[in-house]
Amino acid sequence: MSGGIARGRLAEERKAWRKNHPHGFVARPEALPDGSVNLMVWNCNIPGKQGVKWEGGFYPLTLHFSENYPSKPPKCKFPPGFFHPNVYPSGTVCLSILNEDSGWRPAITVKQILVGIQDLLDTPNPADPAQTDGYQLYMQDREEYKKRVRQQSKMYPSLL
Amino acid sequence: MTSTSQREAIKGAKVLMVGAGGIGCELLKTLALSGFQDIHIIDMDTIEVSNLNRQFLFRQSHVGQSKAKVAREAVLKFRPSINITASHANVKDPQFNVEFFKQFNVVLNGLDNLDARRHVNRLCLAAEVPLVESGTTGFLGQVTVHIKGRTECYECQTKPTPKTYPVCTITSTPSKFVHCIVWAKDLLFAKLFGDKNQGNDLNVRSSSNGSEGNNSSDASKDVFEQSPHESPDQYARKIYDHVFGHNIEAALSNEETWKNRRRPRPIYVRDVLPEGERNEGVKYEDGVGSIPSAMGLLGLKNPQEIWSLSENTRVFLEVVRLFLEKRDKEVGNLTFDKDDQLAVEFVTASANIRASSFGIPLHSLFEAKGIAGNIVHAVATTNAIISGLIVIEAIKVLLRDSNNYRMTYCLEHPNRKMLLMPVEPFEANPSCYVCSETPLLLEVNTATTKLRDVIDKIVKSKLGMNLPLVMQGLSLIYEEGDDLDADMVATYAINLDKVLNEFPTPVTNGTTLSVEDFQQELTCNINIKHRDEFDEEKEPDGMVLTGWSGPTTKSEKSSSSSNGDSSSAAGAKRKLEEVSEGNGKNKGIAQEVEVNDEDDDVSVLDGFPETNKKKRVQ
Repeated sequence: MSGGIARGRLAEERKAWRKNHPHGFVARPEALPDGSVNLMVWNCNIPGKQGVKWEGGFYPLTLHFSENYPSKPPKCKFPPGFFHPNVYPSGTVCLSILNEDSGWRPAITVKQILVGIQDLLDTPNPADPAQTDGYQLYMQDREEYKKRVRQQSKMYPSLL
Repeated sequence: MTSTSQREAIKGAKVLMVGAGGIGCELLKTLALSGFQDIHIIDMDTIEVSNLNRQFLFRQSHVGQSKAKVAREAVLKFRPSINITASHANVKDPQFNVEFFKQFNVVLNGLDNLDARRHVNRLCLAAEVPLVESGTTGFLGQVTVHIKGRTECYECQTKPTPKTYPVCTITSTPSKFVHCIVWAKDLLFAKLFGDKNQGNDLNVRSSSNGSEGNNSSDASKDVFEQSPHESPDQYARKIYDHVFGHNIEAALSNEETWKNRRRPRPIYVRDVLPEGERNEGVKYEDGVGSIPSAMGLLGLKNPQEIWSLSENTRVFLEVVRLFLEKRDKEVGNLTFDKDDQLAVEFVTASANIRASSFGIPLHSLFEAKGIAGNIVHAVATTNAIISGLIVIEAIKVLLRDSNNYRMTYCLEHPNRKMLLMPVEPFEANPSCYVCSETPLLLEVNTATTKLRDVIDKIVKSKLGMNLPLVMQGLSLIYEEGDDLDADMVATYAINLDKVLNEFPTPVTNGTTLSVEDFQQELTCNINIKHRDEFDEEKEPDGMVLTGWSGPTTKSEKSSSSSNGDSSSAAGAKRKLEEVSEGNGKNKGIAQEVEVNDEDDDVSVLDGFPETNKKKRVQ
């Protein structure tokens, strides 16, 4: 059955997350209006770390898994236009562990992905710019960059 | 005795013992005295007075305390330097997950129920930790070894569950006392005091080939209703005459049934109790607060005494009266409970009166209670023998001495002068739904069956899952657990009441459902096959699961060993190879028990009919 491996792994990920997950994070398969729950798409929220300018934000992220998961990584997307040097205008996150050709390994868990992206928020990687706005401000006007980050954090208040 | 390699293996081993009861007490003691140094015990039970005769680590003063903890303390008194960890908890708790199991070199089961055994089996498979499984029932017992990829798992073979009897034997042609007990408990008791709406075969006659004269008249249809002008005593006598008199007479009228059978004798109250004797002579005081007991009121003191027919009759009438007068609020929703004195008295008296009709020997209340409650009295010696065998197998497992693993059955009667029968472990059943990945087949009417029915009747009852996740392709359609968000819970609650073919992607002929358990690390694929009709009698669930090797009813087994406690001889059915001569340890044990051989007699064939038959064939 196609998708058997992906399904088995996603079920494992789902159980592992239900049993234990980092505080403040949310990750759950997408519930459709018809009552089914799609294991291929997970709606997540990543809290900004305490003590950094991302704090207070509760950033929505969607993981899109393919039938080739876990050979291939999931595509991770913030809302379009998300302000961060390593996020494409479409919202797609650019991170080495999410790149099939560099850092992705099938053993990487949903938890590791989300924690990795949380780390990326406050420690952007200038070597891999994905948007002009965020990258240029980060490199050239750090004060304005911080202001934009704080503004964005208020757009995504914690639901807890 | 032990070699250096054995001693070292024992010393370095970390073992998990599940259950600190009858087998557990013996096992913990034997482990400690054999040199094991690191033992973890899990048991959720507390000590009861009735445990004290055989669970020798416990004393009267411990009643009410945790078995695991008291057992630990008791053993530390004579082996103070070893490390014992006690968990007063259910082995099914999430803390005992696969990671937890992985820390042990071997897991030893001393459990008393199928459910926990299956759970431990699945965790051991997932954690790839060897399992030594055991069970005892009276004089019978067995120890089996389960190692993933090497031997069968605990669930590769069917396990005996309490025997059921053909309805016509119970309703029309009982030949054993147990048939009378089943009739009294499941039919008469249920009819008089249980849920009125439940189907009941009490009035089914032997004349199933339909001689019209036997069909119940209008009067007999309502005979179980108490009419307003009827006193409880009158009602009791009416029921008595109906079920022990009229029904037997009606059955007798069908000559075919009795051609080759002894004819039963109808019994009416007037035949048994002297004319004019009114049961109302028995007086009892109101509001005494004591548990109502008919035998108490009638001055029958000894539960081990067999009552005469007239005593049974008096008890019957008195019990019915007590139920109607003292426990009227419960009448209509009672189910038989072996700890309900009045219910046991009712079943004893009714079964004995019926037994009198059919010429079956009568039994005491004590015996009847044992049969009705499926109680098999535990034998401390069996537990001790089994525990010794567990330790022997555990040591072999630690040494990876796989050629010498044995399943050992402890017999009630010597077989070829041996009470212990070692058998080589079986290979895993390739179609086992637990340790292999063969899909199961579920035949079900997908146009009428709700997901809830599949979850309750199949996933939980048959596959033994606790917190299932049900997936259809890459979509989850059901999950269960305290950790779920309220909106997820609501979604799944709606799904439960959906009919299978009404799901967004219909679950229909050819659909495969994947079912996993949140804790057990077990995944099953179930192929769905649509079928319109089901036989209500033979397929009461309205669905049929195949390719599944869980508990099924055994066909040829005495009732005494069909208790869930033991799976003795289940294994003997499939394949039975005698262990070759010159097998060191096992032979030694077998020879030691030969001393008990003196009473070896023809009854040798009683205990294990299948075993003996099979053996002769080979």
